[in-house]
Amino acid sequence: MSVPLSQMLTVATYVLRQRLAGRPRYPLVLMLEPLFRCNLACAGCGKIQYPAQILKKHLTVERCLAAVDECGAPMVSIPGGEPLMYPEIGRLVKELVARRKFVYLCTNAVLLRAKLEDGLFEPSTYLSFSVHMDGLREEHDEAVCRDGVFDEAVDAIREALRRGFRVTTNTTLFDGANPLRMREFFDAMMDLGVEGMMVSPGYSYSKAPDQEHFLRRQRAHELFSRMFSNPARRWKFNQSPLFLRFLMGKQDFECTPWGNPTYNMFGWQRPCYLLQEGYAGSFKELLETTRWEAYGRSSGNEKCRDCMVHCGYEPTAVHHTFGSWRGFRDSVVATVSGRL
Amino acid sequence: MTDETLEGWAPEIGRGVTLEEVVDRAFDYRGNVTVVRADGAELEGFLFNRDRDVPRPFVELFDPNGDGPLRILYADIRAIRFTGKDPAAGNSYAAWLRAKEQKKRATEPTAGGA
Repeated sequence: MSVPLSQMLTVATYVLRQRLAGRPRYPLVLMLEPLFRCNLACAGCGKIQYPAQILKKHLTVERCLAAVDECGAPMVSIPGGEPLMYPEIGRLVKELVARRKFVYLCTNAVLLRAKLEDGLFEPSTYLSFSVHMDGLREEHDEAVCRDGVFDEAVDAIREALRRGFRVTTNTTLFDGANPLRMREFFDAMMDLGVEGMMVSPGYSYSKAPDQEHFLRRQRAHELFSRMFSNPARRWKFNQSPLFLRFLMGKQDFECTPWGNPTYNMFGWQRPCYLLQEGYAGSFKELLETTRWEAYGRSSGNEKCRDCMVHCGYEPTAVHHTFGSWRGFRDSVVATVSGRL
Repeated sequence: MTDETLEGWAPEIGRGVTLEEVVDRAFDYRGNVTVVRADGAELEGFLFNRDRDVPRPFVELFDPNGDGPLRILYADIRAIRFTGKDPAAGNSYAAWLRAKEQKKRATEPTAGGA
């Protein structure tokens, strides 16, 4: 794992405090979507498929901060849409950093260099640019449906690193991904100097346009097993090693849909980042009135059957790490040995 | 996912389709809809939320100016028409692959050509 010690300690302390308080459900990462607008139209993403009045709207910074305070999660991920198109992204990030939230600004990096040159952000342990990279040049440009984006992203990553920012990558893998090419991709990202990488399989939700191409669970296990077999020591992943073991089929977890709650202009999304079954007016209402038993693999809900996405299973892995000596030991062994 | 769309659909509630079913389809629809209230008044907008697990089931919309949310009770809905353009239609991954393949074929020299 490649998470700074301060972040690790903050998360560990937070999780232990929740457990000591006997809270059965608590958030780990708030998925904060200030807007749905984007400067790309990726084939795998249904987020931008809204009428014009919705794409023109965005949350105010005040509403974003109220959601962050209400939720209380130690980490805030800002996806979208493209958050660098949010007119107040600089102020929002500044406020979150001031609150000592660990911020993952998820961007396609097309605008990153310009925003850095504008001096919109300051380097901080609390801020990481999480750059969307779905593979090497050919694979990435195909995934984002536009040629040249890979090179733009690489250029922006170099510039962000040069300026002292934390940079990670996030990769969604679709059916047909080539494990050998992905291993080359991991090498390339490490050569670039990113702090760590995040990977997750895609998900076939009804509003996604290419559900035929998303990974099914079994094929996903095979893909990740081949991808992570004999991992290079220098590969750093900015996620729980137990989640990676889960992807490989070596660990069985149940989903924690409340672990990464989602807030956007519609409210608190039920039940998770991927499924849109309605919205609650407050985080408390989300936790108390969502029929959680209807979600996750054991529920029999067919929408959850093949899902292995990080937003549901990474919180489980973290909970498991700090919930038992065995979980803690497994995490430490995987982290220290580099073996999954 | 297919490229099917509900754009233009104007179901008659009670004739083979229930109000709950139409609301669910409208909730999944990515374009604007027009809700016809019991008094005949019409309200256009993006229907982003619905809850029928509460004592007074409701839907919520943002109107074409982005104002809202506007809440309407199920009991006040006479009909819903799928009047807005469907932004998801024709934008599937499969459609993009097809277009890419066509473009590739168009730029390739034909066999035996000059």
